[in-house]
Amino acid sequence: MKDAFIKSRPMKEEAVLFGEKKSLAGVVTDPPTTVGNHLRPAVILLNPGIVHRVGPGRIYVKIARALAAAGFVVLRFDFSGIGDSAVRHDNLQFEKSAIREAQDAMDFLKSTRGIEHFVCLGGCSGALISLETARCDSRAVGAVLINYPVTEDEDGSANADLVNRRAAHYYWNFALFNLKSWHKFFTGRANYRQLMQVLRLEAKRQFTSKSEIPREATEFEVNLRQLTDRGARLTFLCSQGDPLLDELRKAGGSELQHLCALGKVTLDIIPRSDHTFSSLDDHEQLLEVILKRINGITCSGKKIINTPQAASDAEAVSVGDSVGRVLD
Amino acid sequence: MKPVRSMLPLYFGPPNKALFGCYHEPPSERSRKCAVLICQPVGHEYINSHRALRQLAARLSDAGFPVLRFDYYGCGDSSGSSEAGRVSQWLENISMAISEVRYRAGLTQVCVVGLRLGGALSAIAGAQRGDIESLVLWDPIVDGKSYLEKLIFLQKEMLRFRPKPKRDRNSQGHIDILGFPLSNFLCSELEKINLLTLADKPAKNVLVIQSDQTTGEDSLNDHLSRIGARLEHQRLEASQIWLPTTDGSLLVPNQVLQSVVSWTSQMHQCQTHCQTH
Repeated sequence: MKDAFIKSRPMKEEAVLFGEKKSLAGVVTDPPTTVGNHLRPAVILLNPGIVHRVGPGRIYVKIARALAAAGFVVLRFDFSGIGDSAVRHDNLQFEKSAIREAQDAMDFLKSTRGIEHFVCLGGCSGALISLETARCDSRAVGAVLINYPVTEDEDGSANADLVNRRAAHYYWNFALFNLKSWHKFFTGRANYRQLMQVLRLEAKRQFTSKSEIPREATEFEVNLRQLTDRGARLTFLCSQGDPLLDELRKAGGSELQHLCALGKVTLDIIPRSDHTFSSLDDHEQLLEVILKRINGITCSGKKIINTPQAASDAEAVSVGDSVGRVLD
Repeated sequence: MKPVRSMLPLYFGPPNKALFGCYHEPPSERSRKCAVLICQPVGHEYINSHRALRQLAARLSDAGFPVLRFDYYGCGDSSGSSEAGRVSQWLENISMAISEVRYRAGLTQVCVVGLRLGGALSAIAGAQRGDIESLVLWDPIVDGKSYLEKLIFLQKEMLRFRPKPKRDRNSQGHIDILGFPLSNFLCSELEKINLLTLADKPAKNVLVIQSDQTTGEDSLNDHLSRIGARLEHQRLEASQIWLPTTDGSLLVPNQVLQSVVSWTSQMHQCQTHCQTH
């Protein structure tokens, strides 16, 4: 039904270049009608890792069009050096340049659409930048953080470990309860090498003290509190099949639980999905939750209004026919 | 400080079926009398190869070619839902993109570079039109049926390591390949693709680059020679950049890009003081 709705209302899309040197490439999707748009924040989509602004499975295009159909102005763009945007030639670190460029996106939408409030949305590293941007810039009234990576791979060497963690998550949460998987195991068709690696990883984790949660976890809790005290609405969206979910729960600790209970933060879990939302079912569920969450944020002047629906939904979410859970 | 090279993102074509493209303008001191159109693959192969094709466009433009990269209808940033993709539509899109790059560059000669399905589509379009000067087929899909089989295999492999989606997509008129829908109609169109049945040469000059040893280029080379194309074939050791990687990295095969730029530059000599970089 949602698809039919989007198809029946043609999107207005514009290719744009913006930023200090007009080197950031993006696409603005405007709603079919502009009436009342100033009351809604614009949504800025930030690159999921190094994938360009279309997103894996074209999901960012779907998100942009669905939100525009719901009345939001949406900008998806590439950070410098990613996708179609030119490489920066200064020495600014990505963590800083990306925040500055997200702010450039806000300036651009202010100057071309007159919009003053924004919601940043991003997957994986895009989620990190979304949260940081919201922290640095009060024009951001909300952030939608998809598979937020609490512990980031600083040198890229942890990628192999991440692959193993994802496999471990899959084995413990799905394969263990799947007859077909056991059949494969007993008929010599399982990936025994990977199973051994996963078992080693789990053993290692069991012996690692919980007190070894990285330092940024504490900072993470402080950041959450600061943002929500300011009135920003935060939504964490996690794939059920992603190990980052466990890490988010650990890092967020009691603060995350507390903020969820107050309705200031929501944590939605997309059932039976993986890290990159690599199936069409994942897309449908993700779109549904994003629409619901962002629809709950409207602005009037400088005051952010959390609609009654959004507040009441914060603790328990039902995603259409499927079941979303909060901090279970 | 290096200047930012001129690249313009744009929409072209009819407003209700607008196509997204990026036009790379060459530096004014170097100019060639031929424009280049880059035809990308579709689905996950498009996502995975975007980075490499963007770099290819930048290098070609640096060598003096005006270049247009574009997304087919229902793909990338172009209009249309992903379910709406059709081979017949994409062939029309290639013609539309050729007109666009000719108009923007003010040139009539066109060289087309196509990767994977983009290669197959540009070869078919070239054979139908008969006005393509030169064509680079980078690991083109020769046989649509085996391409489809490999996509379905890849999807099955992916499902081994993630929870199975609830809904059966086949019942909804399409199959799910790594989050991209392939409608039954598109599948039937893809199955009909066979470059060995091209009756006319797709371009005067053709370069076939093969990094995937399994795509049957030998028979393609024989066929292209038989129908009168001046053919060059290069086997290169390079990664199959269109495939998903375990760590999500996007690969750029330097050697392939260099080969494309150097062959295209040889085919279309510079008009002014031009140096290939």
